[in-house]
Amino acid sequence: MNTSVTSIKLVLLGEAAVGKSSIVLRFVSNDFAENKEPTIGAAFLTQRVNMGDHTIKFEIWDTAGQERFASLAPMYYRNAQAALVVYDVTKPQSFIKARHWVKELHEQASRDIVIALVGNKLDIIENGAERKVAREEAESLAQQEGLLFFETSAKTGSNVNDVFLGIGQKIPLKTAQNQAQDGGRGSSGLRINDDSRVDLRASNGQATSASGCNC
Amino acid sequence: MGVRPTTTNASPTQREMYQKSNTSSPSLVGSLMKTLKSSNSTRRQSAGENAEGSTYEASQRPHRFLARSSSQNSLPLHHGRGVSHIHMSPLRKSSSGNSNTQKDRQQHSHSQKRDKYFTDLDEDWSAVIDDYNTPIPMTANGGIELKPPVSVGSKKEHVDSRSPSAGYPSLPQLNKTQSSGLKSQYEQENERELQELNSLMHRVAKFDEILHPSNATRINLSELRRLSWNGIPMIHRPRVWRLLIGYAPANIKRQNTLLQRKRQEYRDGVELVFSKEHTRDIPTWHQIEIDIPRTNPLIPLYQFPLVQQSMQRILYLWAIRHPASGYVQGINDLVTPFFQTFLTEYLQAGQKDDVGNISPDTYLTYEQLVEVEADSFWCLTKLLEQITDNYIHGQPGILKQVKNLGQLVKRIDSDLHEHFVHENVEFIQFAFRWMNCLLMREFSMSMVIRMWDTYLSETSLESTSSAAAEGSSMTVASDTSLQSSPVGAFREVSSSTNLQGKHSAVLTSHQTSLSEFHVFVCAAFLVKFSDQLINMDFQETITFLQNPPTKSWSESDIELLLSEAYIWQSLYKDATSHWR
Repeated sequence: MNTSVTSIKLVLLGEAAVGKSSIVLRFVSNDFAENKEPTIGAAFLTQRVNMGDHTIKFEIWDTAGQERFASLAPMYYRNAQAALVVYDVTKPQSFIKARHWVKELHEQASRDIVIALVGNKLDIIENGAERKVAREEAESLAQQEGLLFFETSAKTGSNVNDVFLGIGQKIPLKTAQNQAQDGGRGSSGLRINDDSRVDLRASNGQATSASGCNC
Repeated sequence: MGVRPTTTNASPTQREMYQKSNTSSPSLVGSLMKTLKSSNSTRRQSAGENAEGSTYEASQRPHRFLARSSSQNSLPLHHGRGVSHIHMSPLRKSSSGNSNTQKDRQQHSHSQKRDKYFTDLDEDWSAVIDDYNTPIPMTANGGIELKPPVSVGSKKEHVDSRSPSAGYPSLPQLNKTQSSGLKSQYEQENERELQELNSLMHRVAKFDEILHPSNATRINLSELRRLSWNGIPMIHRPRVWRLLIGYAPANIKRQNTLLQRKRQEYRDGVELVFSKEHTRDIPTWHQIEIDIPRTNPLIPLYQFPLVQQSMQRILYLWAIRHPASGYVQGINDLVTPFFQTFLTEYLQAGQKDDVGNISPDTYLTYEQLVEVEADSFWCLTKLLEQITDNYIHGQPGILKQVKNLGQLVKRIDSDLHEHFVHENVEFIQFAFRWMNCLLMREFSMSMVIRMWDTYLSETSLESTSSAAAEGSSMTVASDTSLQSSPVGAFREVSSSTNLQGKHSAVLTSHQTSLSEFHVFVCAAFLVKFSDQLINMDFQETITFLQNPPTKSWSESDIELLLSEAYIWQSLYKDATSHWR
């Protein structure tokens, strides 16, 4: 194995306004903005991380959280090797949504996808607000489903890098194994290959049939 | 791969540069212009309807005074629905650029692309465009080719020249011009600004004339549409927008009554929705609530609690009344140009530009704010009526637009399309947002508002079914060929290619749907960056398109973009008739 760059395609999922874009902004630019415009569709960002003798390049698709945009999500997670499912530790509803995302990922996404469950906005609790999602509850979900689990604050930066490092540590081994076992299977190769890009057709087919225009 | 066909005789986009520097150079005349704009609207503001005649005169007088110096130049501005703004210099292959080819080389690399697009145009096309493209500097200077003026101390200019990514060539001739004599440049600059002032006065007067017809009870909407395509003076914008979008009726006598009624209807609607009998739709309310502080976070206006409450009422009421789509993120963006524009009606002339910074409670009463709110609500409703499919489940409207954009780009810039395919760049990855927010995330608010002048002129229906249902504006339709079946006529494919749009009938048949025209604007926007994009890989492309270099764009850039979109639409309307 050489020390070349490993690309990891990663997708963020979660209810609106739980802080998905803020986690990415913290990770990519070490920055924070109190009020970020809602993400529309999805935003793409990259970040390189050195891990010992090799470099991991995260190719991140930060998806929009609103339910109406959910039909776009499959084309972003379909060939992802990693997913962050984010919820807000002060919003129980967002944890319910996170459960749904985990379920959907297990059903629809690549079998080898590494999922991290991330409870964000820890800073609000530290400032005295009431926690609404118990750490134990989230931990047990993570255990049941085989997820990595973190509680973070994009605002303070607490734990954010650890999420990505955790994923980085878990993936190269897996992908290396896959490479050895069933090399060309594609979807979870070491490099992002061409067909692991977002696939339009899935959601588009739906749309064209709905609009009745098959030209 | 990546090697693009080059054309040797690409002409530098002289007029483009010219317009650019023109708009951004501050000077005496510029400030005079501001003052005139201001005094005009101040008086209107305070004196009301009766004083409008005198205001009109005031704006006419300097115009007449100046008319002699530049009568030719004011003409193109009022003709041809934006075509005058297009410097289709690539079409005029033989014209400029012969004297300083060396220095223009850099620009050539920028215009090569555009040159290529238009190669399939026939002679007639270029002839028409040439007519409307009579170079201003030439007439002003006895036919001598002009260099762009030196704009001393113009920051904007400076920024522009440093960002080739904005799609404009830098201005290498500046040094040369400098040495050729500063005095004449200042003279030229002054003259141009006089011309600009003149054309502005003329425009203001034209709008006054249309909005206050002396011997008619109805506003000529086709005429208004034609004029508004090229931009609406700020003092007229609130009124004109209400008319163009079909909210205010063309019948002048009915205007007040109808607006009062609609505003009352809004107040009643709000009262009902927030009364105890109405069960709050918590998820919708919650979604809107979290998006309000995130709407235009960089514009102070939207951080004032009073404004945020208005926004929330507008969006919630709209969502409740449109359950098929409900509130979708992006709609919060779409309401703001209306809100902001209607607020300017209550601002002193000199402050109108500052609407984004001033708290409304310093200049209007709560009742007036609710009127602004009501007008914003109804206009948002009218706008969204045209693009309902964008926000219903699965957002088929947007997906279709994205698909159309891809097909269109394949036709007008096959190299770029091929490159995207090769790099696995999917249009939906960057264009979804373009459609969902009507490019609002890509441009500054003032540019968006200018864009909407054209959008509302180009696409909205003054006689939509709901307006007709009002029973108050049935006559509106007699103005247009949309009379019997607005939607039917709407879908008709126009076979006319009259770019000049002199006749209202032609104009009407040109009317397209918002989602259709918007796709052409998106295509024009994308291919603007073609030269850069062609050298980018997947990641660079997506990153670039997510944050396109538009910060330094001025109105003339927007106008150029809209005009290009209009040309594309005219050229490809047959090829895209199946979109409808």
